Amino acid sequence: MKDHNTDVLYGLYDDEQDLLKAVKQANDQHLEIMDVFSPFPVHGLDPLLGLAESRLHIAGFIYGTIGCLFGFGFMTWVFTRDWPIIFGGKPYFSAPAFIPITFELTVLFASVGMVVTFYTICGLWPGVKNPTLDDRITDDKFCIAFDATAAAEGEVDKLRGFLSSSGASEINMKTI
Amino acid sequence: MNQFTFESRHKTILLAFMGLGVLCLLLTFFMDAQPAHARFWSNFLHNTVFFTGIAFISLFVIAVFINAYAGWYVLFKRVWEAYSAFLIPGLVMLGILMIGIWTNSHHLYHWADEEAVQADPILLQKSSFLNKYWYTFGTLIIVGAWIFFRQRLRALSLAEDMLGSTGDFSYHRRQKVVAAVFLPIGAFTSAAMIWQWVMSVDAHWYSTLYAWYATASWFVACLALTILMVAWLKSKGYMTQVTENHLHDLGKYMFAFSIFWTYLWFSQFMLIWYANVGEETIYFHVRREHFPVMFYGNLFLNFLLPFLILMRNDNKRKYGTMILTSLFVFFGHWWDYFLMIKPGVLETTNHLGGHGEATEHLTDAAHQGAEHGEHMVDAAHAAVSHGSDFVSGFTLPGFLELGTMLGFLAFFLFVVFRQFEKASLTPPHDPYLEESIHHHV
Repeated sequence: MKDHNTDVLYGLYDDEQDLLKAVKQANDQHLEIMDVFSPFPVHGLDPLLGLAESRLHIAGFIYGTIGCLFGFGFMTWVFTRDWPIIFGGKPYFSAPAFIPITFELTVLFASVGMVVTFYTICGLWPGVKNPTLDDRITDDKFCIAFDATAAAEGEVDKLRGFLSSSGASEINMKTI
Repeated sequence: MNQFTFESRHKTILLAFMGLGVLCLLLTFFMDAQPAHARFWSNFLHNTVFFTGIAFISLFVIAVFINAYAGWYVLFKRVWEAYSAFLIPGLVMLGILMIGIWTNSHHLYHWADEEAVQADPILLQKSSFLNKYWYTFGTLIIVGAWIFFRQRLRALSLAEDMLGSTGDFSYHRRQKVVAAVFLPIGAFTSAAMIWQWVMSVDAHWYSTLYAWYATASWFVACLALTILMVAWLKSKGYMTQVTENHLHDLGKYMFAFSIFWTYLWFSQFMLIWYANVGEETIYFHVRREHFPVMFYGNLFLNFLLPFLILMRNDNKRKYGTMILTSLFVFFGHWWDYFLMIKPGVLETTNHLGGHGEATEHLTDAAHQGAEHGEHMVDAAHAAVSHGSDFVSGFTLPGFLELGTMLGFLAFFLFVVFRQFEKASLTPPHDPYLEESIHHHV
């Protein structure tokens, strides 16, 4: 989280279609949106905001590969070098028997790794203070927020005008 | 363009390929080194089951999607409706196989040999299911029922087209009822049919997972063929509303079901390998020792290739990549069925040719004339006593097998294109049409 405070001007919308329209209008008027909040993923919002595709799945693939190699390698080492035991008359190195556990470790590494990576990137950890603009954006409101910290009075009025004209049911300023 | 025209050029090409298929079948029938025309009959069984299965699965997919309130597939649901029409020629071809059993023309199934069954306690125990009556009347009744449900669904779907507007959902509700009744029936009976048609080729062996495994194979083949068909129709200017979003979802299905197929393949292998019971491991032992290229190639084509190619999101949205992958996977599942059928048939044939239970088959061999009989024994000896156990048409698919497959594929496509002609390619009054047009991933 940032050390300095940010003045945020935000408008709340009642419907995701209003939100999409407003974002389109803001793009047309070249207004710089700080962020958009919604209680659920809104279809078609990402390309409008120009968000790049997440690279989390690439990290997931790498973690999965590590888990796969680790699982298979570890079992191979245990059953051929460290503690060879004959199970059911099979050879020490019984690849088919290793596959279920290799698969499980692949999934485990990929999923846990992705969760940890995601939390780290988002700066989420126990005890983190996460200011919200308005509690209702986790319930039934959709929000467009502008950064008004360094904005002149005229600019703030222009942003307010945009929010009210694009159908925001409520417009507020908050320092977070 | 919503009305498909079956161009005469395409008719000529398809008829030419069908001619090639017939030629290959005739060549395998008359120039076969195996006794009882085993190569011809096993090719015929292989392709009949493979393409009839694709028709069955497309009917099954429509029934599932209607009852799952799915909307995205509506733009190309006519493709699956047309595929399911192949159940009718499929039943005719299965009829030829039945006639073959009743007239003792082929020896695909060890259990069809009554003398062998009487001398074999395992086959005797199974004979209440594995007998020619079950094979004949089971197939006629079950595939007949599939055809009945297919015709009802198709008729309701076409009647829906005749409505004036989209507001009337009564036809859709009726389709839903027909589909819901079909689902459990189709699910259970398809397993019985796979046991009869394919698994009983290895008459002594059985596996509870087999029906799932074989159905999953059909499923992936059907999806691959759907992707190819949709891409082809788009390239011809039809189905303009199908976008890469639909392609993406079809790709996800192909990816998911390829992994599902692998899961079932491995589950079957793993349990049999671990339990190490001789009568079960024989299935994999034969395939791994004598058909290694097929055995490992199967996993490469049907698991590794689609898994690695289709993992990335972007790849599922590119026509070129999807077409290439679908070609591999479609061929791969044809290959899979080859591996399910051929080793069992070869073994039954080898018995026939003078190995193992030779005495029981002496009467059979005598019927076929002395010269031919010698030829059979020679061929079987050649297959076993020489160092190499390569048997043409069995160890690997040869050109004749590929030609037969192309012939059947052309036949399948011919039936499908005739169906396309009969109705608009986009169902105009399906309640989910709008949803499908705006489908977005």
